[in-house]
Amino acid sequence: MPRHCQCLPRRRLLGGLLLALALTACGQQDAPQQPAAEATPQPPRIALVMKSLANEFFTNMADGARAHQAANPGSYELIVNGIRNESDLAQQVALVEQMMATGVDAIVIAPADSRGLLPVARRAVAQGIVVVNIDNRFDRELVADMGIDIPFVGPDNREGARKVGEVLAAALAPGDQVAIIGGIPGAFNAQQRQAGFEDAMRSAGIEVVSIQSADWEQARAASVASAILGENPDLKALLCANDSMALGAVAAVRQAGRADQVLVVGFDNISAANTLVQSGEMLATADQYGDQLAVFGIEYALEILATGQAPQDRNTPVDVVVSSAQ
Amino acid sequence: MSRTILPAIRLPWNSLGLVAVLLILVLFFSSQSEYFFSGVTFRTLANQIPTLTVIAVGTTFVLLIAGIDLSVGSVMALCAAVMGVLMTDADWPLFAAIAASLLTGLACGAASGFVSARWAIPSFVVTLGMLEMARGGAYLVTDSQTRYLGAAVGRIGEPLAGLGVSPALLAALAVVALAQFVLVRTVFGRYMIAIGSNEEAARLSGLHTVRWKALVFALAGLLAALGGVFQLGYLQTADPNAGIGLELSAIAAVVIGGTSLSGGRGSVINSFLGVLIIAVMQTGLAQLGISEPGKRIITGAVIVAAVLFDQYREPLARRLSRWRPDAGAEQ
Repeated sequence: MPRHCQCLPRRRLLGGLLLALALTACGQQDAPQQPAAEATPQPPRIALVMKSLANEFFTNMADGARAHQAANPGSYELIVNGIRNESDLAQQVALVEQMMATGVDAIVIAPADSRGLLPVARRAVAQGIVVVNIDNRFDRELVADMGIDIPFVGPDNREGARKVGEVLAAALAPGDQVAIIGGIPGAFNAQQRQAGFEDAMRSAGIEVVSIQSADWEQARAASVASAILGENPDLKALLCANDSMALGAVAAVRQAGRADQVLVVGFDNISAANTLVQSGEMLATADQYGDQLAVFGIEYALEILATGQAPQDRNTPVDVVVSSAQ
Repeated sequence: MSRTILPAIRLPWNSLGLVAVLLILVLFFSSQSEYFFSGVTFRTLANQIPTLTVIAVGTTFVLLIAGIDLSVGSVMALCAAVMGVLMTDADWPLFAAIAASLLTGLACGAASGFVSARWAIPSFVVTLGMLEMARGGAYLVTDSQTRYLGAAVGRIGEPLAGLGVSPALLAALAVVALAQFVLVRTVFGRYMIAIGSNEEAARLSGLHTVRWKALVFALAGLLAALGGVFQLGYLQTADPNAGIGLELSAIAAVVIGGTSLSGGRGSVINSFLGVLIIAVMQTGLAQLGISEPGKRIITGAVIVAAVLFDQYREPLARRLSRWRPDAGAEQ
């Protein structure tokens, strides 16, 4: 009896398969164009694996890369992917694996974690894929332990943060109190920016009364900043390790009614922060030419692919944007 | 007679729609990207899904009893953190650390389940609390720092030579099979459906509903911990920020699989198909390099479409199963 029952599902399955085949048949009509393109030697394929593409900083970087590719259509193919939120390690590892599966020649990556992405990066290197590290630097000790070469192309975050800190110090007096709002504690650039801020404050004799993390996020920075402002009635400035957090800090300062007393500086020069710097609500931010950072990495990857040279780290420029309104 | 065999043969009927959706997705992506339809892609995909798979199994059980567990992502992070810290700071051997991690998950799940069932507080609220507590615990245990474990845990997540799939995947598939068996063939499975369909009636007919409900949440916690172990093997890193939003992916997979949010109806196999659909979508969209907003819009649309499809699948399957006796009787 039950055997009879199976004929119907089978028929439906067959129908589904036919439908699916019909669909692929439609898809395959583009196929004949392919051989023509393959007649010329294939340009290298480069995968750009970004952090959160909900963050304007990374969106700009991705757009810069796409514009660069569009300007040099013959020299390489580009595939851009990002993750949902900045700390989604698993998704980024999965993305790298998927890019490896599609057989790319190089992966330019802004890792969500300076250690967590290394195992997969090592596997990519072992497969002969050129891996170039941008934005957030891989943990140097661990890279050395693994015995692999992954070049870092990017700004010196500590130096950039020190420059921003110096601009702030010039507007304050020795002995003033400030607080630092940092990025995700495990991230190398978060540590570097914090160290740069601290360097500048120390040499200017300014007291850092609180250092707290807001995980790079605006909303969290607003609540962290409110708490810091509440605890420190004499606070003179908030140094934020990125502009998203600076926007949150500005909102908190405004709500506390202390916009006249508390200065805010950020890092990255995203457009919203740039507007605030122009209007004087933020004192300064660092411009590390974010939209070009991925391009620098891609250019270096192409160079390594073309010449086969041993990869080395490369520094890219950082400048401070200072408010003229104050 | 025919009624007793019904649960067994109803299964492929309900799964068929999902298999069709899955096939359509695979064929679509294969037609769009010359790299998608390859062994490497599918092996990669297979080794990425164990965590979501086992967590979706736990979530299926919880939804079956008309509950919801929002804490699984955080509990997973906490359990992986416990395991990672024990292995790095305390030099515990792998299996002892896994046991500690599983116990942590079991305890978290049992606590939410007991509180929710004993005092009749909606599980939404209790597990929301657990979500925060477990995340805090994960930060506390790891000192908010990512712990790198390296090869010590790698063999859980690295593909087996010659087979191409990881031990984690095999274990996850075993969990799916076992859970489906428990659901369809055991008294416990019947109890879950009874509680999910009408808790009051189940209680009045003598079921100790508090105990069974607590057990279901404890299982979900245990499976979240197992997911954490797989995640650790896959990433070789204990990350205190791991699994943010994972509960939503799990609920999406389970709901795509046709499990009812109001309880009493569901299938583990279909949840697994839901996981596959989500994984194929993610892989395919990434390989095509679709922009992030595009990916989210498409993924969201497919979830809604799959559930809509489910609305039509149900009456269709019922109508077909009504024909069956006639078709079988005379021919």
